Amino acid sequence: MAAHSLRVLLATAKVNLTMTWRFFSWTGFALRFCAPIMTLGAAWVLYNHVYNGITSSEFRSAVGASDYLSFITVGNAFYVFVFSAAFVVGRVMFWERVSGTIEATFITPMNRLAHMAGVMVAAAVNSSVDFVAVFLIALLFGFQASSFNVLLFFSSLLLTAFALFGIGLMTNAVTLTFRDRTTTSNTLMILFMVFSGIVCPVELMPGWAQTISKALPLTYGIRLMRASLVRPEGYNLLHDLAGLITLGIVFVGIGIITLKLIERNLKKKALFSVF
Amino acid sequence: MFRRVVVAEMKKNIKQFFFSARTIFWALALPLGNGLYLYFLYFPFVTESVELEFNTSTYTLDLVGFTVVGQLLYSFFSMMLLAGAAFDRERQQGTLEAVLLSPANRLAILLGGALASAFSYMWMLMGVLFSWIVFLHVDIMIIDFSALLASIVLSYLSIVALGVCLEAFFIHSRRGTMYGTMLQEPIMFLSGLIFPLQAVPKSLLTFSYLIPLTFGLISVRLTLLGGASISDVAVPLALLSFMIIIFFILARWLIRYAERKAKVKATLTQF
Repeated sequence: MAAHSLRVLLATAKVNLTMTWRFFSWTGFALRFCAPIMTLGAAWVLYNHVYNGITSSEFRSAVGASDYLSFITVGNAFYVFVFSAAFVVGRVMFWERVSGTIEATFITPMNRLAHMAGVMVAAAVNSSVDFVAVFLIALLFGFQASSFNVLLFFSSLLLTAFALFGIGLMTNAVTLTFRDRTTTSNTLMILFMVFSGIVCPVELMPGWAQTISKALPLTYGIRLMRASLVRPEGYNLLHDLAGLITLGIVFVGIGIITLKLIERNLKKKALFSVF
Repeated sequence: MFRRVVVAEMKKNIKQFFFSARTIFWALALPLGNGLYLYFLYFPFVTESVELEFNTSTYTLDLVGFTVVGQLLYSFFSMMLLAGAAFDRERQQGTLEAVLLSPANRLAILLGGALASAFSYMWMLMGVLFSWIVFLHVDIMIIDFSALLASIVLSYLSIVALGVCLEAFFIHSRRGTMYGTMLQEPIMFLSGLIFPLQAVPKSLLTFSYLIPLTFGLISVRLTLLGGASISDVAVPLALLSFMIIIFFILARWLIRYAERKAKVKATLTQF
């Protein structure tokens, strides 16, 4: 069973990687960096030109450091990685339907989760390029890492990707039911971008925004990754680690259940390839 | 005839935009989210106000107002950028030849498309304004209502004029949607949407002055939040009026040129 799942995972990853690189477009690749460059550039101007390199005392006490550009770089790079890696999963079934292959996919006796995981692995490989590129661009803006905790760095990536994999599974159910891709993915994107603490520490946000951010795995993941690179003072590692693992288990659990339910419902009503 | 073409084109585009209930939700979620994102960008530095320098004076503006005005005008601007891809869509649908074979006034077609985007924007405007005022409390300071009205009307018209111009320009490219998307980030950066214009690097200011959004943002922010009078914002208002005329003339010339060229080379529907 495990060997079968592994084969499904690898085959799916291979297909997806081949498809991505066979139709590679430089324009599309460059467009992916517009938003991160804009955010980094805006942060650079705000930090250096508008506020002359001085952050508020609330920021310093919340982050445990005063370097704003390093703060925002980590958030941005991490966001670019997890967004392109995990949210691809949410669109798998939608694209299968558009390509006319959804029925064939569901007829095969393969493990559905392994198939989804394969898509995610391929996307993770692709988005690693973006991830490294954002850090390289950030070096031009003055990014500095004061430490590098390898274990924490990769744990934060893997755990966040795991939790977002669960959200991706749930998103599949939404896209298959409502036959919508853009609205769902864009809404999720905005939710994560605004409330995960990418541009400002969650502690500085209004109370209602903090409540939303607590339910997002990216919030904990970004804090863990920042801790691995910047080593802030008085950081509570266990709190974020526990939060991220709990959310991961919950989201993946719900994701598996919703995927099974939606498959059963679509089979029962013969709605697989109906638009 | 001109008016009928404008109205018909508007109706068509509005129906295409609001094709499902999800659009109504999405039209609110995106600008609201983007606005909050820009608002939170300031939190590591300040949470109350922003200083905007203009014409040797320094105005202290409410941060929420600064961000919401920026986001509202920018959303309108980006809708106009994307409206510029209208002819691309006609081409994809296979209806571009039919549109250009009809005796409809070309400028009326362009204007109808741009006004449809302006109309669709009203839904977003109401929703965003309502939610920001209720949840985040915008601190408004208006002294001269005529200055505010002139700022809004001229900003609106200049952006519509630019939308019309882009529609006419993108027909030459066959990549209207891509260019419309690509232009969004640089414009956000250069127009003073995110940070006050005095912080834009000097070498880039020339580009900022070519964008009507730049002057729209200055005049609306100052008259709505800084208590500026009509004489305070006379220069940006004059520049906006000038841009309206220039963009409409340019659009008229571009669409005539595109049509003439396409008829001679028979490349209208080719990709």
